[in-house]
Amino acid sequence: MPTTIIKEFCKGCGFCIAHCPKKVYDLSEEMNKKGYRLPRPVRVENCIECGLCDLYCPDFAILLEKTEKKVRAKGKEGR
Amino acid sequence: MSSGVKPGKYFVQGDEAIAEGAIAAGCRFFAGYPITPASETSEAMARRLPEVGGVCLQMEDELASIHAIGGASVGGLKAMTISSGPGISLKLEGLGWGIKNEIPYLVVDIQRAGPSNGVATRVGQGDFYTVRYGSAGGNSSLIALSPNSTQEAFDLTVECFNLSEIFRCPVFLLSDETVGHTRELLVIPEESKLNVVKRIKPTVPPEQFLMYPLDTPGVTHYPFPNIGEGYGICVSPYTHTSKGYASTAQDIQEKMAKRLVFKITENLDKLVRVEKQKLEDAEFAVVAYGGNARPAIAAVDMAREKGMKVGFFRPIIVWPFPDGEVLTVAEKVKTILVCELNIDGQLVREVSRAAKGKAEVYHLGSGGVEPHLPAQIFNEIRRLYQ
Amino acid sequence: MSTVGDTLKVLHPLVAKYLRKERMPHMACPGCGIGQVVHAALLAIDELGLTPKDTVWVQGVGCSSRITYSTWMGDNVDAHHGRIFAVATGLKMARPDMNFLLFTGDGDCGAIGGNHFIHACRRNLDVTAILFNNGIYGMTGGQVAPTTPPGAVTTTTPYGNIEDPFDMCQMAVAAGASYVARWKSTDFRPLVSSIKKGIQVKGLAFIEVLLQCPTNFGRYVLKTSQPQEVLKWIKEHSLYKKDAEKLPPEELAGKYLLGEFVYRPERTGIVERYQELLKKHRKE
Repeated sequence: MPTTIIKEFCKGCGFCIAHCPKKVYDLSEEMNKKGYRLPRPVRVENCIECGLCDLYCPDFAILLEKTEKKVRAKGKEGR
Repeated sequence: MSSGVKPGKYFVQGDEAIAEGAIAAGCRFFAGYPITPASETSEAMARRLPEVGGVCLQMEDELASIHAIGGASVGGLKAMTISSGPGISLKLEGLGWGIKNEIPYLVVDIQRAGPSNGVATRVGQGDFYTVRYGSAGGNSSLIALSPNSTQEAFDLTVECFNLSEIFRCPVFLLSDETVGHTRELLVIPEESKLNVVKRIKPTVPPEQFLMYPLDTPGVTHYPFPNIGEGYGICVSPYTHTSKGYASTAQDIQEKMAKRLVFKITENLDKLVRVEKQKLEDAEFAVVAYGGNARPAIAAVDMAREKGMKVGFFRPIIVWPFPDGEVLTVAEKVKTILVCELNIDGQLVREVSRAAKGKAEVYHLGSGGVEPHLPAQIFNEIRRLYQ
Repeated sequence: MSTVGDTLKVLHPLVAKYLRKERMPHMACPGCGIGQVVHAALLAIDELGLTPKDTVWVQGVGCSSRITYSTWMGDNVDAHHGRIFAVATGLKMARPDMNFLLFTGDGDCGAIGGNHFIHACRRNLDVTAILFNNGIYGMTGGQVAPTTPPGAVTTTTPYGNIEDPFDMCQMAVAAGASYVARWKSTDFRPLVSSIKKGIQVKGLAFIEVLLQCPTNFGRYVLKTSQPQEVLKWIKEHSLYKKDAEKLPPEELAGKYLLGEFVYRPERTGIVERYQELLKKHRKE
């Protein structure tokens, strides 16, 4: 599943790299303006769309197709 | 929804008159904590507010009360709390939030003998400076009104609520145990005779509205949108921009400070209310406020009977202090005697400052418990009169 | 796959839908768990269909609260340290029709705000409060908190903490809150479900979340600044209630219990009781 890293939100905590069950991510050499080294999804073919990278990211820096689809759908349950 | 106003003649304490004044002004939220000599107002609000659909809560402490009324005002209701001495000290922290975010509400102080717990059931006038300068951080001005009778307790409560909406700030009603616990005539007028200022709402859409007018510090009648009105308001204790976002920038701090000070100090003409008696030909003036004013007036009458040209001056709006009015008196008379119920001298300092050396200013202080007796004040007049 | 600069053009959908983009990225340290909890709260809000028009965020002071300051797209009310429950009482009684999400921290709720927290639970005020428990005072630089474990070195306990921590959840249960639960920041789905349950229940919902503070708790207490190590410590020192039931008491010492502690939706609170009072006594 295609993954987008939102560069200037990432703070280089490494959670996505550490917690992906399929080791999709590696640490790259690319840095953002604040000097954080960004993760890069290198083994995308292994991705099982679990969404853990997005949930682990404390900074809303990982954009997954499945999140977009889910959030755009209307919430049904109400209060 | 009716206004809750009950026109008629009543024989009540000042504390109860404050409750009726609040309801007449549209107050629909009260939070307080029991404290002598203010509890009677809380009790009256507990009986009356539900009758008019309002919310009255006894909170767990003084701090909870002032923060709850801040929340209620942000929530859309005119709100009030009441306390005395040590309770007011506790509330000063929360007061800062109200001042900073330009939140209208009323804090009533029924002053009692202090410091600390003092004499809970008896009068004092030691909070004159506390209400103005007690909330830490400076960079603000403050409006406080002080009644000297049950009738004024009602009238000034309505006026305090109006001023809090016009200036979008917390306002103090600085009363005392003498006025709070004296039972006398209260006349509540017909609703049509009352002037009640409604909360001002924005006329521009949310994307054009600035919650805090930092670039126009002297403006009054500024709108106050509340939660759930679509304005996405931001209320924050930190120094913030006009939108309400926290900022550490020096220019924002400067603008914010100027807004909180100038909105009052640039509108002093709207904030002068004094009482003057027999000052036209006076060579000696007696100054007093609140519950200590009536013995002072009696003493002035006693002096006049003896042929002394003595007059009386009372600030009704005590903050901002009526400098100009005091200077006018000082330029006319040779001597000013300030009678107040504290030994350290508070009102006398303001009078001295405002008099600019044009008259000799003397202090008749008392620790409190009783107001001055007219004879005490008269003896002092006689001693000082030239 | 791509990395995208120029942040404001591409946003996480939850940010785009619910947060003020000019306030992002938020000010939490790298690896701090607060962002994870805010993420869960936004998922809960999204799944319930709440909107910025009907929901208010109320914050206090401390990392727990400052990260969400003026971030919600709707109304934000940021109170003094410790006072959110008192402010929320005024807000909710003025607008009982609106939803209130409160964000508080160990000091904000357990120290300076303790009294207001207890009474809000006692009154069962109909709001949802999320306690960010990172075991330390983060924003002010690493001082001891009422939730700091015994023996911990902090900047104000350089010789080790000699006090025992509060169990804030047990206090909420004893005081009368309708719903009380504790999770850790990485219990993603249970946390989202719990926040939804809390928002839906009438009465006070108190959800404590154990989360990692790599900057202060990590460096001072655990002698590590690695977020992973702090997450590991939390995992090793916590266990779910259902697993704890099988263990002897000695093995539970020094461990946090996770799960739901009480759910009593039938217990009324001050909001409905006041409405009943008005029905009886209102004269107009």
